Amino acid sequence: MRLYKKHDFPGKLFVVEGVDGSGKSTQLDLLRNWLESKGESVIFTEWNSSNLISKTIKQAKRSNTLIPVTFSILHATDFADRLENIIIPALKAGLYVLADRYCFTAFARDVARGVDKEWVRNLYGFSIRPDGAFYFQVPVEVSLGRINNMRTPGFYESGMDMGISTDPRESFRIFQTNIINEYDQMVDEFGFHVMPATKTIHEQQMLFRKKVTELIENSN
Amino acid sequence: MKNENNSPKQPERVKHDYPGKLIVIEGTDGVGRSTQTELLKNWLAVEGYGVTVTGWKSSELISNVIEKAKSKNALNTITFSLLYATDLADRLNSIIVPALKAGLMVICDRYYYTAFARDVVRGADPQWVRKLYGFAVEPDLVFYLKMPLDPLLRRIITTRGSLDFYESGRDIGMSTDLYQSFKLYQSQIMFEYEQMMAEYPFVVVPADETPDKIQRCLRQHVGKLLDRATNPEAVLIS
Repeated sequence: MRLYKKHDFPGKLFVVEGVDGSGKSTQLDLLRNWLESKGESVIFTEWNSSNLISKTIKQAKRSNTLIPVTFSILHATDFADRLENIIIPALKAGLYVLADRYCFTAFARDVARGVDKEWVRNLYGFSIRPDGAFYFQVPVEVSLGRINNMRTPGFYESGMDMGISTDPRESFRIFQTNIINEYDQMVDEFGFHVMPATKTIHEQQMLFRKKVTELIENSN
Repeated sequence: MKNENNSPKQPERVKHDYPGKLIVIEGTDGVGRSTQTELLKNWLAVEGYGVTVTGWKSSELISNVIEKAKSKNALNTITFSLLYATDLADRLNSIIVPALKAGLMVICDRYYYTAFARDVVRGADPQWVRKLYGFAVEPDLVFYLKMPLDPLLRRIITTRGSLDFYESGRDIGMSTDLYQSFKLYQSQIMFEYEQMMAEYPFVVVPADETPDKIQRCLRQHVGKLLDRATNPEAVLIS
């Protein structure tokens, strides 16, 4: 499966992973500005954003009627469409591709939803292996604090579909804890670069740039 | 006969123990699946069984997305596979499993074997597709309506008047000659079905017989299945 092999496209693929509120999007945005300021061409893509299916997913989420397997394949469809139409062409053209969430998001969320671990890895077996996968690691309480300051967690985001608890906040806490556990287990499995998301934004960004520079230099 | 791909890591792929029965009718385009499905449904109803029929690519969630994407001819192999898998996952959850739980006879006009044939012809990895559908309930009875290529081609062209883009495999650029492309594509699909005959317990039904004769054959097998369900000792005899 492609996911387990190094790709040989001229472009580079960097992905950020981590729970909501881990600060990964902020960091990726800063990285993108930095790469562009150096004159690099950068393509950005995020989870659940394909023209083909993202609207269907959003509608289905609103109706709260999806079972975990359907949910899982829907997201894989979105991902496959973006992979073929955005990510692979850009890599072939020698560009930098930055992805806010990648198949590892599915590995964490879907398994936390009770979907079989091997099944979901097979499902995403067509993925291109990233040149660098950065995992923004935060303790559950920090993640909860950041999210709660902004808004109430959504139905699926808090794992309410699994009936863990009727209290949205309690459900969210348990579900997010399970997701973080899944991510932590993937560090070795997929060679994540662990980013200490509790450091300041600036410190993290400096570390992020340094790592990316190393990865680019090592591959050339 | 047991499929070796049923890895223990996919606990869903086991014989169901719902009171209903899942009957699948498979075969390439134009072999008469819809006609046979309809006849079987009516017969079961007359015999006093509750029946639910579900067709390929018919879920509320996703079928219009598939139609839209196909009309633009914009699908690559993997996305194509995944859209159909989503469709079945949604129908399993909203139609098939609830009906089986309620003790109904569920007739599926096409099931995952269709995906195993089509997706593999389109270049998907056979193991990958089989595992992808690991979430789906295993059927109680699978009919494969089998027809030689030449009569099949004549039948499709005479009944439809024209050839469909995807049914002809034009999306995978087999040939610019639509007829050649169609012939090549359908023969590859058939080849995949033939391979599956060794892998799965298909009941192979010659589809170039009259509709009546085909239907008699289907009823005979469904009848046996129902006898076994209502009278478990019959298993010992059969």
